[in-house]
Amino acid sequence: MLDNFNRLVIGNLHMLGVGLSVTGYVCICAFALAVVLGAIACLVRLYVPFIRIIAIGYIEFCRATPIFVQLLWVNYVWPELFGFPKSVVGAGIIALALQSSGYLAETFRSGIEGLPRGQREAGLAVGMTHSQILRRIVTPQVLLVMAPSIVNQMTVVIKSSTLVSVIAIPDLMYEALKLVNTWFEPIEILTSTALIYVLTIFSISMLAKRVSDRFRNKFGLAAHA
Amino acid sequence: MWDRLRESLDVTLFWEYRVILLRGLLQNIYIFLTGAILATLLAFVIGIARLNKHGTVRLFSTGYAELFRNTPEYVSLVWVYYVLPVIFSRLLATKVSFSPYWASVLALGVSYSGFLSETVRAGILAVPRTHIEAAMALGMSRWMIMRRIIVPQAIRRMLPESLNQYVSLFKATSLVSLIAVEDLMYQVSMITVHEMRPLPLYTWAALLYCGIIVAAAQSIQLLSERWRQRGWA
Repeated sequence: MLDNFNRLVIGNLHMLGVGLSVTGYVCICAFALAVVLGAIACLVRLYVPFIRIIAIGYIEFCRATPIFVQLLWVNYVWPELFGFPKSVVGAGIIALALQSSGYLAETFRSGIEGLPRGQREAGLAVGMTHSQILRRIVTPQVLLVMAPSIVNQMTVVIKSSTLVSVIAIPDLMYEALKLVNTWFEPIEILTSTALIYVLTIFSISMLAKRVSDRFRNKFGLAAHA
Repeated sequence: MWDRLRESLDVTLFWEYRVILLRGLLQNIYIFLTGAILATLLAFVIGIARLNKHGTVRLFSTGYAELFRNTPEYVSLVWVYYVLPVIFSRLLATKVSFSPYWASVLALGVSYSGFLSETVRAGILAVPRTHIEAAMALGMSRWMIMRRIIVPQAIRRMLPESLNQYVSLFKATSLVSLIAVEDLMYQVSMITVHEMRPLPLYTWAALLYCGIIVAAAQSIQLLSERWRQRGWA
């Protein structure tokens, strides 16, 4: 068992490391894109009357479709339909971003709607414009309250990112399955891979909990994830 | 681009293969139902164990819940399908193998029992302490208090949240095609290989899933609203 572990896992650590870095790259890009798309969808849903229905449809579609189905859809249909993404990595990033943007849009919305009305009225009373209120009053408070949920969404992105191996992005899962198919020794490789994922995701969700507790103490906010 | 869009939304191909696709969807539904039963049973055991008075029991059940909540579903699916049979084979010194169907039921059931145990725990904690004390005052045994006082009230409180977890479980059943269960997505990719027309097939598969899940989520919201009005949840 330990021999196998040394030979298969330690011996191939560089491959797993390369895979992990690809996972990290895909997750970071997807999450950044998801935050942007989610913010746009949320603002459109809340403040733009005529195309609100499009934003609602977008958010519902992103949240209701399983990530695996979305991934295959983006990978096979988008290049022909829209002419992009040109690579599988692009497809993986877009699919992950689509799914998370739906959830993040709803998170942002509940944060904005949860803000007491008096805050906005006070802003108006001191003569701020609409965009000034959004920038100086709404956004900082909403971000503080929403920080834990946003970090939790990050763990969802990492979990879903295991699936991008299906469309041949060489992430951690892809490298692990490749090693399994080379050596036919699944136990050590797959267990170590599972542990790497669990530890990464667990430490991020612990961080989210820590952050939410600190915010609650520091700013007296009723933050709940 | 408009041609491509029309091609993507062309439903004839999808309709032509409706029997095969429906058979695939049924496979999803079977896995969902068996997985949901397994997840619910495990979740009750773990959720109750997490409130046990012994520290070790609490530690192990919390560890179980955290472990399976934080494992990606695809990883646990692959692990159960490839690794678990090998371990069992070595332990029992005979050849053991799982059918893809039962491997996916086990993997998804155990994964979601982690999420559901959290719901069970919250539901039990929401039962007012005074109800338990009243039952004790009437001389009920611990088991009887659990069965007659705590569980019925906890279930009502848990219903909306646990239904949402079941929706997530149904979404996760789309992954089982990866270990060769002949589900909806498996059939879609097989037909794509055959017909070489991915656009309508994948688009309609996505829209079908979206429709099912939006309908489920909407009816759950309606039901929860009604339960709340009756003072149930």
